[in-house]
Amino acid sequence: MIKKKGFAMTMVVLLLMVAALAGCSGGSSSSDGSKELTFMFRGGTDEQKAYKEVIKKFEEEHPGVKVKMVVTAADQYATKLRAAITGNNLPDIFYFAPGDLKAYVNSGVLKDLTPYIEKNKDIKLDNIWKYGVDLYRYDGKMAGQGNIYGMPKDLGPFALGYNKTMFEKAGVPLPDKDKPYTWDEFIKVSQELTKDTNGDGKPDQYGTGFNVQWALQAFVWSNGADWLDESKTKVTIDDPKFAEALQYFADMQNKYKITPGIEQSQTLDTYQRWMKGEMAFFPVGPWDMSTFEKLPFEYDLLPFPAGSTGKSATWIGSLGIGVSSKTKYPDEAVELVNYLTTSKEGMKQLVDAKVQIPNLLDMADEWSKDTKTKPNNKQEFIDIVNDYGRSLPGNYTYNAEWYDIFFTDIQPVLDGKITAADYVKQEQPKMQKLLDKAVEQEKKSQK
Amino acid sequence: MITKSNLYRKEKIYGYLFILPPILGLLIFTLFPFVYSLYGSFTDWDGLGQMNFIGLDNFKDLFTDELFYKSMYNTLFLMLGIPIGLLLALLLALGLNRKIPGTTTFRVIYYIPVISSLAAVSIMWNWAYNGDYGLVNQFLELFGIKGPNWLMDKDTVKPALILMTVWKGLGYTMLLYLAALQSVSRSYYEAAELDGASGFQMFRNITWPMVKPVTFFLVVTNIIGGSQIFTEMNIMTPTGGPEYSSASIVFYIWDKAFKNLQMGYASAMAMILGIFIFIVTLIQFKMNEKSSFDGD
Repeated sequence: MIKKKGFAMTMVVLLLMVAALAGCSGGSSSSDGSKELTFMFRGGTDEQKAYKEVIKKFEEEHPGVKVKMVVTAADQYATKLRAAITGNNLPDIFYFAPGDLKAYVNSGVLKDLTPYIEKNKDIKLDNIWKYGVDLYRYDGKMAGQGNIYGMPKDLGPFALGYNKTMFEKAGVPLPDKDKPYTWDEFIKVSQELTKDTNGDGKPDQYGTGFNVQWALQAFVWSNGADWLDESKTKVTIDDPKFAEALQYFADMQNKYKITPGIEQSQTLDTYQRWMKGEMAFFPVGPWDMSTFEKLPFEYDLLPFPAGSTGKSATWIGSLGIGVSSKTKYPDEAVELVNYLTTSKEGMKQLVDAKVQIPNLLDMADEWSKDTKTKPNNKQEFIDIVNDYGRSLPGNYTYNAEWYDIFFTDIQPVLDGKITAADYVKQEQPKMQKLLDKAVEQEKKSQK
Repeated sequence: MITKSNLYRKEKIYGYLFILPPILGLLIFTLFPFVYSLYGSFTDWDGLGQMNFIGLDNFKDLFTDELFYKSMYNTLFLMLGIPIGLLLALLLALGLNRKIPGTTTFRVIYYIPVISSLAAVSIMWNWAYNGDYGLVNQFLELFGIKGPNWLMDKDTVKPALILMTVWKGLGYTMLLYLAALQSVSRSYYEAAELDGASGFQMFRNITWPMVKPVTFFLVVTNIIGGSQIFTEMNIMTPTGGPEYSSASIVFYIWDKAFKNLQMGYASAMAMILGIFIFIVTLIQFKMNEKSSFDGD
């Protein structure tokens, strides 16, 4: 009898403790009775600072709402978010990649924001980049149309920058901001700027240094090729135009020697070389603006060199801000999303902090005309969004495994050990197999 | 009035309360995830939505998965660092066990990497291995050797990782060996000396058998730890290295589970890894039993 009682008591304590543990994760109303929202995001230090300010302002304007911010390192973000989803412990508001939209909608993670956006008279969808809003639309079959499940945090047009001071010093005519270089011209100018300035027999100033994962697209697309066909179900890298672009990219290092060689080609290196003023051309995203403002040289933007199509090409990155379908305070959560993405007050603070381009069309127009701040040719960012920027291929598919493997295996091509033509032939079936799997997975998730 | 049974009851409750936290921890953080993952390995779960039971399909796919074999091979290759680490640590411990001035300083120096954060250490080695300005290549240049770009070349990335893990674990291993060495009674050596045994004979017949339990413990824990190596490559080669040549099995599991929405498949791999570790450990225990009988 006594024995049993002791056991029962232990069990009660055990259950209480489990309950207490479970309670920790779900709590979203704070002790003073105000509504507490959790906002999970990522970003560099300048970006974090800017967001902190904006949220502070939001809290001032919305008494009774408190925002708890959870920041993680960029490369850990996706893992943390997936873990939160799996653990049923999702923050009320969070960033998500456009490539994850379909999976998150199909599994009921994201809240449909459409009714809230329609209800809110302050939001004028026609004053926001259509491209940006469409990234987060999904009708259950096709992305890009249907209901809105997130708002673009911003658009990140990946432009090409150049070191103006270096051009002037070397007496090379400045590039035309409206007419892209041809591939040959780009090599020629880069060769002129690749120099051994201290006479130790090794060049210490290079034309450029691209990271293949983020810069190859510009060359492939401007040559009229792509990773996927229209239906997004076939891998098309075995197109000769594709191989040509990839070979050109590899030749920049091996044949034309305008980039640091194999032993120096780490990304960290090229980024630092650019920052030190030892590189003529380097890609610039809007998120770089606050950092690049302090560069010891003048820089500006120009279009990426154009391949056989004669047209420049590049990609536009984006992150969406979504609301958890399980949030306790949907109205307040959507209000915060709107504040961060579409309100004049919020947007102005973020743009002034130089961490992004404006989401609002009228504000962007005004912003791009301001030539007093760096970079001078901000219009290039706007042109990319308006005219020729595209989404990264991995965004179109249920997962990006097929796309990632292309870059995992690519080192021998860059090192000149195998030709681009051989590589695309050998890699296509491998990628196709993984893509087929992703397509199949997507079909399953729709049921 | 305090009766005997009352006292017992009280003690019993306290007893249960004391063992409660670790048991709860075990249930919540080990047993539950294990069972969940075991079930998950038989489903096509993407980590988000529904789990559909698909039987052994994941395991069948595994056996034709090139990257699974590759990451398994990588993991085993990286374990070459274990014997190297043990040998170096034992040599160091023998050296530091002597009564010479400055040993405390050296012990501290060798132990610093152990208490440093693995992430910080990885970032530091990332710089050291840089092909252009890295410390390693600058050092090699002193001897006129042109070093490779360690982490970007599929032939050098694994040795580079081994070197780093050996360096990181050396202090811990050395400290355990040092403790073992110090517990060996001087009288054995004195007796051996009287019998005219050489230094090597003393090591072979006294030191080595006496530190064997520690060696066994280290081999077992190192293999278990080595099978689960992850942080180093996640920081130093975030895409799995050139041609996936530095991806460990845990890295591949993580890649599948959190990047490519294949939690079920990843769970299946985790199960295989678990079985692998279990079998290897079992073999070691059996071997240890046998050889200690031989030793007596």
